[in-house]
Amino acid sequence: MRIEKLNLANFKNYPELMVDFNKGINIITGLNGAGKTNLLDAIYYLCFTKSYYQNSDSQNILHENNYFRVEGAFCKDTDPDAAQNTAISVAFMKGKKKQVDKNKVVYDKISDHIGFCPLVLIEPDDVQIIKGGSKERRKLMDTALSQVDREYLLAYMKYERTRSQRNALLKQFAERRTFDENLILGYDQQLISSGNLIYEKRKTILAALNPIFLDFYEILSGGKEKVEFHYNSVLNDLSFEECLLKNREKDRIMQRTTAGIHGDDWAFEIKDHPLKKLGSQGQQKSFLIALKLALHQYLKKERNTNPLLLLDDIFDKLDVERIEMLLKLVTGEDFGQVFITDTDGERLESLLVNRKTDYQHFKINSGKLL
Amino acid sequence: MEFPSKLISDSVEVFSKLPGIGKKTALRLVLHLLNQPIEDVRDFGQTIIRMRESIKYCKKCHNISDGEVCSICSNRSRQKQLVCVVETLRDVLAIENTQNYRGIYHVLGGVISPLEGVGPEKLQISSLFERIQSGEITELIMALSPTMEGDTTVFYINKKLQEEQLDVKVTMLARGVSFGGELQYVDEVTLSRALATRLPYE
Ligand SMILES: [Zn+2]
Repeated sequence: MRIEKLNLANFKNYPELMVDFNKGINIITGLNGAGKTNLLDAIYYLCFTKSYYQNSDSQNILHENNYFRVEGAFCKDTDPDAAQNTAISVAFMKGKKKQVDKNKVVYDKISDHIGFCPLVLIEPDDVQIIKGGSKERRKLMDTALSQVDREYLLAYMKYERTRSQRNALLKQFAERRTFDENLILGYDQQLISSGNLIYEKRKTILAALNPIFLDFYEILSGGKEKVEFHYNSVLNDLSFEECLLKNREKDRIMQRTTAGIHGDDWAFEIKDHPLKKLGSQGQQKSFLIALKLALHQYLKKERNTNPLLLLDDIFDKLDVERIEMLLKLVTGEDFGQVFITDTDGERLESLLVNRKTDYQHFKINSGKLL
Repeated sequence: MEFPSKLISDSVEVFSKLPGIGKKTALRLVLHLLNQPIEDVRDFGQTIIRMRESIKYCKKCHNISDGEVCSICSNRSRQKQLVCVVETLRDVLAIENTQNYRGIYHVLGGVISPLEGVGPEKLQISSLFERIQSGEITELIMALSPTMEGDTTVFYINKKLQEEQLDVKVTMLARGVSFGGELQYVDEVTLSRALATRLPYE
């Protein structure tokens, strides 16, 4: 997939914007605060119907306005002249429900749109995926799985809904000093059916991703050190049914569902040690970029289309060799449309000119295209 | 919106509390009533008050009824051993509209949902068990929404039936591809469910 056109109205610091993108590389430059990241976030909105950075839709409205609109025209990679566009629009007005439509037809369920156009974003705060809690790592992998597999997304939503119902029930039991096993069992069997599906699909993505990841890591780091990427699940050792039964008393006391696939983690290791403890900054960066590029290739294979690749402000923190290696990769034939932001356009351009790559440069200043 | 009359603005306020009615529609309805003969408007108001005051719930199935027992439960030609368990009155109306169901109903009044404070005790579940215990029911058709909450409610009722060793057949509405629908437009979940519960060719 690629995005041909983007139109914004009152989105973040953009009062209005109309822009046509290049099929391949798009460079977006400007000073800090000019709106480079906001532009990428608008593209993210069109793929995920929400912001990458802001949970609340209303926070994305330009000051002193009461709505925003993001519109994009998408087309397939196999359609070089963009003969058949798909128009996606996300609109939000204060006090109203967000509306997402595809070719002017409004989605009944917004979640039906997820996966329409796969996307991978790499940004400086990504180190949180390594340094932060397990939630960040689950989000990364769950987002990838949701983009290739509708069954996964639906199982995931069902699991989360069941878990909130079960937690509410445990709280009520504690307040009323009662317990009804039949009721708990009702939620348990729903957690088990959706949870097992989630578990199996996570194992599948791990197996598919690992070889691609290891290749990319080797290219990026030129390294000989051993890296590993695992899926640590509570279900690796026991069945979900046993897990729930074993923790039933604990759940009653804690008044919530303490164990389950919602607590699973993805372990990143270097030389048999946790990456967050032993990895150097450079190794951590290479690990993450390799993982995200692997996700890109995985999505591409599963969806049979190129995902959009957004590289937000990552060149500042990388050494020249890694930058060159990364640019060599993403301008190669394995990748499709790419968006790169940077404060320094000249550095990026000189590197691209050397690579004889077709690219387009967009300069931005306070929410305007120069 | 500012109105020159408090009487008007109060009425608009009341109408706009109804589901699906915004301020603009409410004003249109109020102005319409204002142009009607006073007798018609009085009749309109009294009909609604009478409805709210005198409506009863059938003491057997908890469907809405004008008398103690609803017209479906008191219909002699209905099969009293066959009970369809539904969430609300609306589901009764939907099934009645098929004109193909000859059994009777049991209206639960919702599904179990702790998040909304609805436990089994807030639903007509114990009255369902009383009906089953009286021994005249041989089959329960579970016609609840195919949601996580609906499934949990069915599971709960079924578990309790086993626990109390009540001998009654429990069936579910078939879930699958809609009649006359093209396969390519069926969503993945419905389709995989329909595949899993496929039927022998008749
Ligand atoms: Zn009745």
